[in-house]
Amino acid sequence: MTNHALVNLDDHKDTRIIDTRSELYGDNVMFTMTFPFEFRNIQQCYPIFFHKNSETGALYPVALFGFKDKENLFLNSDGWSAPYVPLMIKRQPFFIGFQKDQDDPDKRSAKVAIDMDSPRISADEGEALFEEHGGNSEFLIRATQNLEMINAGNQHSEKFVAALIEHDLIESFSLDIELSDGSDNQLLGFYTINEDKLQELDGATMESFNKQGFLQPIFMLLASHSCMSTLLGYKNATLV
Amino acid sequence: MSAKKTKVVIVGGGTAGWLTAGILASRFASEGQQSMQITLIESPDVQTIGVGEGTWPSMRTTLQKMGVSETEFMRDCDVSLKQGTRFDGWARGGKESDDHYYHPFSLPQGFSTINLAKYWQPSSGLPLSSQPLSSQPLSSQPRSHQARFADAVGLQSSICHRGLAPKQITTPEFAFNANYGYHLDAGKLAVFLNKHCTNTLGVKHILDHVISVNADDDGYIESIDAAKIGTLEGDLFVDCTGFASILLGQHYGIKLQDKRDVLFNDSAIAVHVPYQGSNDPVLSHTLSTAQSAGWIWDIGLPTRRGVGYVYSSDHTSDDAAHDTLMNYVSSSVGSAQAKQLVGRKIPIKPGYREKFWHKNCVAIGLSAGFVEPMEASALVLVELSAQMLAEQFPADRPTMNIVAQRFNQKFTYRWEQIIDFLKLHYVLTKRKDSDYWLDNCRSETIPESLQQSLQLWKTQVPWHFDTPHIDEMFPSASFQYVLYGMGFVTEVNCLADRSHKKMSLQADALMQENQKQIKKLLSVLPHNRDLLNKVAEFGFQKI
Repeated sequence: MTNHALVNLDDHKDTRIIDTRSELYGDNVMFTMTFPFEFRNIQQCYPIFFHKNSETGALYPVALFGFKDKENLFLNSDGWSAPYVPLMIKRQPFFIGFQKDQDDPDKRSAKVAIDMDSPRISADEGEALFEEHGGNSEFLIRATQNLEMINAGNQHSEKFVAALIEHDLIESFSLDIELSDGSDNQLLGFYTINEDKLQELDGATMESFNKQGFLQPIFMLLASHSCMSTLLGYKNATLV
Repeated sequence: MSAKKTKVVIVGGGTAGWLTAGILASRFASEGQQSMQITLIESPDVQTIGVGEGTWPSMRTTLQKMGVSETEFMRDCDVSLKQGTRFDGWARGGKESDDHYYHPFSLPQGFSTINLAKYWQPSSGLPLSSQPLSSQPLSSQPRSHQARFADAVGLQSSICHRGLAPKQITTPEFAFNANYGYHLDAGKLAVFLNKHCTNTLGVKHILDHVISVNADDDGYIESIDAAKIGTLEGDLFVDCTGFASILLGQHYGIKLQDKRDVLFNDSAIAVHVPYQGSNDPVLSHTLSTAQSAGWIWDIGLPTRRGVGYVYSSDHTSDDAAHDTLMNYVSSSVGSAQAKQLVGRKIPIKPGYREKFWHKNCVAIGLSAGFVEPMEASALVLVELSAQMLAEQFPADRPTMNIVAQRFNQKFTYRWEQIIDFLKLHYVLTKRKDSDYWLDNCRSETIPESLQQSLQLWKTQVPWHFDTPHIDEMFPSASFQYVLYGMGFVTEVNCLADRSHKKMSLQADALMQENQKQIKKLLSVLPHNRDLLNKVAEFGFQKI
């Protein structure tokens, strides 16, 4: 079990967080969850697809960083090499914890929680969570905002995916990739938007998608696929 | 029949009636010209039998074609996933823990191109290709020293053996890692299909008693009279009235051909057994355990087990059968709890009608025939019958006679195949502990067709010539699983086969590949109970 704690002054007065991007801190991931509201930023750097949660089977959008497990082609000795770092990467080692209301056990409130086993936790290095006088640090304030965006973004994302599935717009695909060393590779387990079905959508559905904020992310996602060639270029560069 | 709306009247609303309604209705639209109006009339107070708790993989396609969500189906009908059957104690009986074999749904590896059974040589330990090309006995060594047939040629028995599910929660609905059908609550299935047929597929549902059948001068049924609604006209009537067989049996007097001389089992007692804990494992295969006068089925649903003893009343008494069943149940839940269970007696008249389609009346389900519930033949016959009815639906009376004739031929053949295949499970036994097993092996109880096959299989491994039709009930793989599971010996003569060396190398490679695939699957597949919990919580994705 991971060692989770709600962030509080008493326990975390001296806790610091190392905020650099590195394999040492677990940033060597093949993909990460992303949310429609950040698709505009994501699509200029990373291809966006869907992936299934292995615990629930639920589909969710991801930004792709590599072609195999633990491969992140945006990570190098200088850190992260793309201009926009996805929120789910930036939020580490924080996550949303829920605390039961003492007066009303049915009510839960979202709190900032921290994974105390994260290699980012330090006593003498990195960003402090609290100021000397006990106030929240700039760093913690930003981390809290990130989590709030993730929380809201996630709810919107679930509706987005449900609407796409309802209209039969998500399809699985497998991508055959030939690398510069001549090897054939296959990218499996990812899903994308079926463009033929998208073009068949009627006006009323389009309008409803637009009102719910689904239309723009659909096209952002499709546009993101031009990043595949960038990603392939990075991959081929590692083979030289 | 072609100018107006064709009226189909289904009498009886058990699983047979509603499956037939769903299969017909999903093929023919209920609106517009040239279309079909399907009415299902069922008596409000007739209890459904509901022993068919196992299905074949074909049920997945059947449900998918009806437009059913697999997740809703699984949640509403108390469904678990079934990957085949395990037979315990059939070969030698007694307390030998290794007397068991699987008959899985998945075919042996490379089944369309190579007959692996021919090359299954587990006893010698030598590489297959290095063995001499002479007469090679199959399974001539004691069973315990061998890689079992099902384990060697396929992957599913290994999955079942570890209690794993045939798929993951990320696998789309109706798709699989290993082929599967269902275990389900038959009563709930009827209710579920009723809802789907009436809400979505436009089937009319009437609750009323049929009191008389009205035929025209040529003997075709024009209408039926029901107690409350009066006369109900139809072009074609489907008899789904169960054992009563009100139309085909009672009205037309089409006789049941008794097959008790081959399949002795004529009675069953069934109980519902609660789990000890809500997270107890759920087997993803039917467990069939041989007893001294029959066998016990053990089917795990998510909320309970369905357990029953099917037996021959000539070889044991009802009381003794009850005790046998209670003994079996006690071994898992203890005698105190077993005593509280109330058994339900089900009579079985093993046999099938002389014909199933007469004039404009087709019998589907128990009204057509019934044998002991081994190999889950009941529901699959309903599916196959309704599919043929839908696909060959006659446009007028002259074509109806042709279709009827073909339907009768087809299903007579299928019943014969089922009876031969079920009997095969008995005749290979080495058990001599009771008259039941001794009688089962007496040649006068074995159909001539099965005797011939057995003779042939002494020197030839079952293969595609043993199953001449393209839509056979059982592929030759099923015969292989039972034969070699039971320890049958085929002395394969490979002398004349020029390609033997090449083929045995290929077989060797396939069987090694099989072991690799098993290892991979065992590492990713969840326990069946865990998957069922996830289906209840999250459901399967459509993609």
